[in-house]
Amino acid sequence: MEQNDYKKPEYYMNRELSWIKFNDRVLSEARDKSIPLFERLKFLSITASNLDEFYMIRVASLKDMVHAEYTKPDIAGMTPSQQLSKISEELHEMTALQYSTYNRSLLPALKQQGLRIITYHEDLTEEEGKFVDKYFMENVYPVLTPMAVDSSRPFPLIRNKTLNIAALLVKKEEKSREEFEFATVQVPSVLPRIIQIPGKKEETTVILLEEIIERNIQSLFLSYDIICAHPYRIIRNADLTIDEDEAADLLKEIQKQLKRRQWGEVIHLEVEDKMDKRLLKILKREFAMQEEDIYKISGPLDLTFLMKLYGLDGYKSLKAKPHVPAPVPETMTDEDIFTQIRGGDILLHHPFQSFDPVVNFVRQAAKDPDVLAIKQTLYRVSGNSPIIAALAQAAENGKQVSVLVELKARFDEENNIVWAKMLEKAGCHVIYGLVGLKTHSKITLVVRREEDGIRRYVHLGTGNYNDATAKLYTDMGLLTCSEAIGEDATAVFNMLSGYSEPLSWHKLALAPIWLRDRFISLIRRETQHAKEKKPARIIAKMNSLCDQDIIAALYEASAAGVKVDLIVRGICSLKTGIPKVSENITVRSIVGNFLEHSRIFYFYNNGQEEIYMGSADWMPRNLDKRVEILFPVENETLKQEVIHILQVQLEDNVKAHILNKKGSYEKIDKRGKILVDSQMYFCEEAASRAVRPAEDTAQSRVFVPAEPIG
Amino acid sequence: MPYTTFAAIDIGSYELSMKIFELSSKLGMREIDHIRHRIELGMDTYRSGRISHELVEELCEVLQDFKRIMGEYRVSDYRICATSAIRETKNTILVLDQIRTRTGFEAEVLSNSEQRFLGYKSIASKETNFRSIIQKGTAIIDVGGGSIQISLFDKDSLQSTHNLRFGTLRIRERLAALEGSSLRYGDIVEEMINTDIYNFRRLYQKEQKIENIIIVGEFITQMILRINKDTQEHFVTCENFMKFCDEAGEQAPEQIAQELGVPAENSAMILPALVIYRRLVTEIGADYIWAPGVELTDGIAYNYAEQNKIIKFQHNFDNDILNAAKNIGKRYMCNKTHIAVVSELAMSLFDATKKIHGMGKRERLLLQIAVLLHDCGKYISLVKVAECSYSIIMSTEIIGLSHKEREIIANVVRYNTLDFETFDNIVDKDQLDVGSYQIMAKLVAILRVANALDRSHKQKFKNCKAALKEKELIITVNTVEDISLEYELFPEKAGFFEEVFGIQPKIKQKKKI
Repeated sequence: MEQNDYKKPEYYMNRELSWIKFNDRVLSEARDKSIPLFERLKFLSITASNLDEFYMIRVASLKDMVHAEYTKPDIAGMTPSQQLSKISEELHEMTALQYSTYNRSLLPALKQQGLRIITYHEDLTEEEGKFVDKYFMENVYPVLTPMAVDSSRPFPLIRNKTLNIAALLVKKEEKSREEFEFATVQVPSVLPRIIQIPGKKEETTVILLEEIIERNIQSLFLSYDIICAHPYRIIRNADLTIDEDEAADLLKEIQKQLKRRQWGEVIHLEVEDKMDKRLLKILKREFAMQEEDIYKISGPLDLTFLMKLYGLDGYKSLKAKPHVPAPVPETMTDEDIFTQIRGGDILLHHPFQSFDPVVNFVRQAAKDPDVLAIKQTLYRVSGNSPIIAALAQAAENGKQVSVLVELKARFDEENNIVWAKMLEKAGCHVIYGLVGLKTHSKITLVVRREEDGIRRYVHLGTGNYNDATAKLYTDMGLLTCSEAIGEDATAVFNMLSGYSEPLSWHKLALAPIWLRDRFISLIRRETQHAKEKKPARIIAKMNSLCDQDIIAALYEASAAGVKVDLIVRGICSLKTGIPKVSENITVRSIVGNFLEHSRIFYFYNNGQEEIYMGSADWMPRNLDKRVEILFPVENETLKQEVIHILQVQLEDNVKAHILNKKGSYEKIDKRGKILVDSQMYFCEEAASRAVRPAEDTAQSRVFVPAEPIG
Repeated sequence: MPYTTFAAIDIGSYELSMKIFELSSKLGMREIDHIRHRIELGMDTYRSGRISHELVEELCEVLQDFKRIMGEYRVSDYRICATSAIRETKNTILVLDQIRTRTGFEAEVLSNSEQRFLGYKSIASKETNFRSIIQKGTAIIDVGGGSIQISLFDKDSLQSTHNLRFGTLRIRERLAALEGSSLRYGDIVEEMINTDIYNFRRLYQKEQKIENIIIVGEFITQMILRINKDTQEHFVTCENFMKFCDEAGEQAPEQIAQELGVPAENSAMILPALVIYRRLVTEIGADYIWAPGVELTDGIAYNYAEQNKIIKFQHNFDNDILNAAKNIGKRYMCNKTHIAVVSELAMSLFDATKKIHGMGKRERLLLQIAVLLHDCGKYISLVKVAECSYSIIMSTEIIGLSHKEREIIANVVRYNTLDFETFDNIVDKDQLDVGSYQIMAKLVAILRVANALDRSHKQKFKNCKAALKEKELIITVNTVEDISLEYELFPEKAGFFEEVFGIQPKIKQKKKI
């Protein structure tokens, strides 16, 4: 078959629809009765926040395309408007499933455990009602800003993602009941969404803030009668596309965009399903909504409050045991981190292993008198990041500190600007990304002046330098002082500072220039081996796979006989089981307590196995529009360790979903099998390995007689 | 292990680059960083003769950042060299001043011969290969943006070196109007450079058999690595190279750029480079090509390590300079035996009077070269030997010497026989300053004495000794020959020596039985 024959639309899955399947898998965790109840709440909450982001970015972007009359079909042959209508259909179904999970499964289960959530204020007892009303007058009323709409007051700006209550009012003296007015009030985001109502000891009762407001809405419009009041919520187009060529000062442009973001077009409206038709009509008109973008909800809007519910004290038995990352054995000696790295490359597997070595790497570099320079790329950083503090400290200690701060990291811009300025103040050399490219690579370089000249220490990772997410995301990292990688790392930072590319690379492959070709040639090499009847195999783990060239190359490899096993957590546009195209490809997705985030690539290479890790998914944006780094794992022991990690994931039969021929994901039939939950397995393995490296401890009890002198 | 961290900066015609090295006797030269910034200074110079202030601005900004990077490595010393783009621009002084005030850096403008010598040293920094290659007939072709230098080697030493004034950027700039419009662009480039290459071969290479060509220049490493895809060697046979050139000549520059893995913005210079390489390789006709992949910055560092005695290198570069000068002398049919004697005399006088003249190794070399070329003007005219010698030296490049040094030599030769002038009265001064005038005077004084001792050109003063005795310089000669001619004419020449050093040279004859 020719290369192009692998690019037929019917061989591909639309990426948005594939993403919806991913969210389905998360939702299935919320429905899984074998999972602790409170963990299920968390999963349901995650599906909700995932959906919000999906509307804001993906749906919005498709809407933009439709507005721009862009009709080019995607790799699966669907035009933007076809995609939108299919998405709407599927998301309506998903929303229904979310709320049936909530209402029929979770609420009763919670009640059984003594946690009562009052969905409608009408269900309050008299005593509870009194408490709630008092709470309203004391805490809520003072911060409310009710807004009525009439000829002199235009429809107010409703902020993105906020929860609001809409009401229809009639003037008290008005005779006719037809002359109603519209009013809206935002449910204040500064107050807790969940309010606990004191009551019986053995039972906890909570109510949502919007129900309290609804119950007391009359007090906001004293001279009116309330016809009806219902909560609603909108999502606006928030895809931040900055035209970098025109923005003279990127920083200012982003700040400007942040304010503008709230003004975006409304692309999603959700309302309580019992909402009065007249009220809905007004909202529909004011927000210029299409019918297919309106979601009628049978339950509380915005399920992300469940994450707060998870945080309620107690219920320990209903939550998973908090995970404590195990220390990394190689770093458990008393030596400094540099000596430890000189002892051999160190592989890190988060969150099973602690992120501390990475923080310590920067911290010790900041204090070490022999360190000349620290360079790092930062993408998303936690609020109170110890890494940022260490970098600032290093600059104050007179080290040359260069930090590439990616301002374009989605939704984090505001946060990023704050600490970027702080770093600048501390004396760091801050580079604000590259025009037209997001710097997504995760690399830290420490230059140290040693006895024999400078030596470079490098950390390369698959995840961000974020100590908070490092406890939740599975990621891999490598600490090394390999000279070749060190030189490449220096070249990376030279490039990021705007200098020309190096004449050649030793070990690293970078997007957007070299990485795509590298991947394609690695895949083709396996294809070639398969054609020569040699064994050929690819195992690749990533978050998303939707790049056409890569998928076509994988199809070609599969057709030639290469065995391809893919572990793709999220979007996967590749289809399995297509006769003569993808019969040798398997796809599995692991959705567990931790978010699978590492990217690992294994190539059999006729016995000379090669392992790569990196920051890039097989997506066009990663390969073409971002600075990404792919790095090899060359130490034989570490290579075997990474292969072991891939093996365990391929054996997972608890949290893995297999993509079948029909395009749906199914869990593995566990009957008669030993259960393997890869994430649990890694937790236990990391804990059992976390012992100090043997230092003749076995001998320590034995007294050693001194040798006779002379 | 002690080591020196050194930064070498090259302000080239299309690129500003810095290399950071660690220099140590144990590990030699270790390159630890290489930073490049593309800036086509040459474009402005070759087009309008001036570098625009936008480019100067950009240049200073990048240099400022280089300074930061130097700090990062705690560089203990550095050298900044500018080549033809700055050398040939009309506002050289202003540009240098801008650099000085904006960055605090003193940038040196290298003369072509200095630049090429450093380029040559950069190749020598790849010591093992270099030493074995130059045992046989070898041509080093150094292709820059502004011009090309061809140096011929045989039996471990430099024979001659020549500059052809066309480089990749200069050609591209000259033919800018034709670019893209004509399929025959390659042919036009070829036509443009053919005469120069032909003349070079006819006049200088002559019958010398060249076996190896060493090429330094843009894209050449990538080209050879492309030919040796599988082995990744830096050597290629000329035959294979020509095959590659023919194939590449059929393609669009962008396509070649992609194949070579170089950024597309550089592709406009690929074609001129390709044509130059092809023409030179064809014309010179060798068996092998080696691309050492070095740059001027390597030479700067090598030179620094050599001069500061951080690393000991085996190759004697002063010999190369002398050899080149000798070959120039040969072309103008200088009297070899006379020169040998004068040279020996001059050197022993120089060494004997070290205490009073205070000059060093470099000046000694200048004196040696002055001796080698002191009567080359005879080739043109027997009447105006001094003036002709001066003119020949001023218009002949001597590799390894700066323009100023060459001017000193030319004047030393000129005033060897003409009356010595005061500083103000010296005509055609170019870079000569008071300091170099003083050196010049001292060298003239020594040369005159040495020359006077072999006035007859009969090599009577073969074995003589010079020694300082209070206010006199006693030159003891051991000969049975009649030295009355020298004796008679000596005071006239020695007078100047006395004037300069306050010491009177005297001849003392020892007649051994």
